[in-house]
Amino acid sequence: MVNLKHDVLIIGAGLSGLRAAIEIVDTHDVAVVTKVHSLRSHSVAAQGGINAAMSIEDSWESHAFDTVKGSDYLADQDVVEVLTRNAPSVVIENELWGTAFSRTEDGKIAQRPFGGAAYPRTCYAADRTGHNLLHTTFEQAMRKGVKFYDEWFVTSLVRTEDRIVGVTALEISTGKVLGITAKAVILATGGFGRVYGRSTNALINTGDGCGLALRAGVPLKDMEFIQFHPTGLKGSNILITEGARGEGGYLLNSKGERFMKEYAPKKMELAPRDIVARAIQTEINEGRGFEGGYVHLDLTHLGAAKIKERLPGIREISLDFAGVDPIEEPIPVVPTQHYSMGGIDCDKNGTTSLNGLFAVGETACMSVHGANRLGGNSLLETLVYGRIVGKNASEYAANAKDPDAEAVDNAAFAMREKIQAILLNESGELCAELRELMGTTMDDDVGVFRDPTRMEGALKVIKMIQERFEKVSIPRSDDRFNYALVRTLELENMLQLAYAITAGAIWREESRGAHWRIDHPKRDDERFLKHTLMTLIDGEMKISTKDVNLGQFEVKERTY
Amino acid sequence: MLFRVARSRDGGAVSHYDLYKVDVKKGMTVLDALFQIQDKMDPSISFRYSCRGAVCGSCAMLINKEPRLACKTQVSGLKDLNMNLKPFPPLTEVPPGWNPDEEVLVEPLPNLPILKDLVVDMTKFYNALESLNLWAEPAEGEKARTQSPSDRRKMERYVNCIMCALCFGSCPVNAKKKEYVGPSALAKAWRFHEDSRTADKERYFKAATTPEGAPLCDLIMNCVKACPKGVAPGGTIRKIKKAS
Repeated sequence: MVNLKHDVLIIGAGLSGLRAAIEIVDTHDVAVVTKVHSLRSHSVAAQGGINAAMSIEDSWESHAFDTVKGSDYLADQDVVEVLTRNAPSVVIENELWGTAFSRTEDGKIAQRPFGGAAYPRTCYAADRTGHNLLHTTFEQAMRKGVKFYDEWFVTSLVRTEDRIVGVTALEISTGKVLGITAKAVILATGGFGRVYGRSTNALINTGDGCGLALRAGVPLKDMEFIQFHPTGLKGSNILITEGARGEGGYLLNSKGERFMKEYAPKKMELAPRDIVARAIQTEINEGRGFEGGYVHLDLTHLGAAKIKERLPGIREISLDFAGVDPIEEPIPVVPTQHYSMGGIDCDKNGTTSLNGLFAVGETACMSVHGANRLGGNSLLETLVYGRIVGKNASEYAANAKDPDAEAVDNAAFAMREKIQAILLNESGELCAELRELMGTTMDDDVGVFRDPTRMEGALKVIKMIQERFEKVSIPRSDDRFNYALVRTLELENMLQLAYAITAGAIWREESRGAHWRIDHPKRDDERFLKHTLMTLIDGEMKISTKDVNLGQFEVKERTY
Repeated sequence: MLFRVARSRDGGAVSHYDLYKVDVKKGMTVLDALFQIQDKMDPSISFRYSCRGAVCGSCAMLINKEPRLACKTQVSGLKDLNMNLKPFPPLTEVPPGWNPDEEVLVEPLPNLPILKDLVVDMTKFYNALESLNLWAEPAEGEKARTQSPSDRRKMERYVNCIMCALCFGSCPVNAKKKEYVGPSALAKAWRFHEDSRTADKERYFKAATTPEGAPLCDLIMNCVKACPKGVAPGGTIRKIKKAS
């Protein structure tokens, strides 16, 4: 079969991938390979907003400080500086492209307060900010004629000794596996929330980029730092934005108390997410939640007009998925897996340890969020770093020699054999069963509060599932649109990530940001002010560490 | 609960219907039911999905003869739903043997070619965005423009469109006239026309009133009833027709 060929390939068509493509398309032959059409990417679901120090009172330094403190000092401060300095310019860029930001009375881009922030610096488009940014950025990619391979699932990265040379990918509509050669590859595949059973994430967030990188010998970083959003909708786990608290919503326990006064007396409901999530979980664990294990997010005092104007999406979600009208009654909420702070180890240029391979967005770990991401910083990361990593990848491609097409050909051949073997397996383990077991294990044993004994147990279960996965079978399927096969390949990725998350969480004997160890409830800078690296060497996951780039903000105790 | 699901292994037309017995749990959506079928009964069934929260627009399909997002449609409430659409063949032609009192009928979204089972070819739908150039020309400058909240409100309805194609699949004109760009593309053109920041409004007016656009609409208003996001393209198209 003939290989396809491009200078730069971008895997993933969410905001990071789109923004990178826009940066490259004028100078290089670039293509975006994506398992769902761009507009179905998870960026669309981001609600609350995008942070930028836009007002006169605010400054990038203040934004940077909040981000570093929010990260529990694990973020690399040079990376944070780039993020926060460039924030206003990407918000303005998207405004000039037509994004329908909400406005203040005098017509400026409106900004709302968000957790862990000193100023109201979260720009928003009602509570549909991701939707608005994604649709606008997609329009601009369309305007520039970016080439998309829609509904192609990347199955492997192809490398030679010292560089990337392309990928292999499954064309979902035909079932064919093809090789695509490329000088540079940017991974922009988003997070891996679906490793957990209960997640706010789209069903497609299976960490494919991290799995691909790991199998290509590229390390993952800080995988144990999983963000649990304080307010997932009880039952369906759909996100209820932090903006609901930004607009003045209260968290109430079953006694009707605003319990955040016990945990973060100054910031109350607008403390960072790790702190609020732990507070809610503590209320539930100590019997002050409602039956079934949840607390109330009360917006009723905001009034119908404000809710309809600022939080229309939240109202719709509450009505459609919980039968609750937030104008009339409180929303039942529970901490829910939401974001992956960790990801592919790379620097502030998106450069990984493999020449020509770049990473950006939630799949990357630069690290800009450290141990806990602040709300409003992830949309920002996609646009700031999409632009930067796009630029770097095209500069790399301009100087790179033609890749070895034969290596890509051979890899595609091998991948066809691997997939055929799965499809020919007439009886064996069922993907759904294994996936469910992984999800409940991660929910129960690697959640908000972490107990080393239970995590050791979880690691054994994950190993056992990985062994069972060797015999996975899809008893009945067709070549075309074989989503059962796609979901099986996704599970292979997720199992490796589940292992990395759990192994990292066992190794890190301290509590920092979103990672809380019941046996080590304090931060331990002496031993653990460092990044965790996970590298797959001969099938074994090896743990090593990497220093944190400290900077102008001194490492201090973190209180709110 | 029995689910009768349209199948098409090779695409083109529905070849037959398969019947599945789904274990219905509280709060279960039609999308959840389809996953139960794929996971536990028949991995060969194909359907699109992503967010499961009615924001990404992947899972538009025909459920009990009404175009809906599978992820937003609760199985338990299905009997009480009625969109009151103006009938046209895909909504009225019932497969033999379907018992509406006991079975949920799931079929691909009408008006777009079937690729496999519940997956339809969206190319034509997406192409309309491109052929009508439905994007903003980037404004020059280094500062954000201003816009009053009331000006923003004028386009809010349109920017809420998630491009799910339910309007396209519910439209009797789209069923008959292959060249019609469909309701959402026209609403999108009007989004730019109504945007107080747009310099060249004429460009979007021309896009909306192209011969393949608003002139083909018969103001049937199925799109208004089927839209899950309150975009209500039909009323807008009426406005476009009046203005032209």
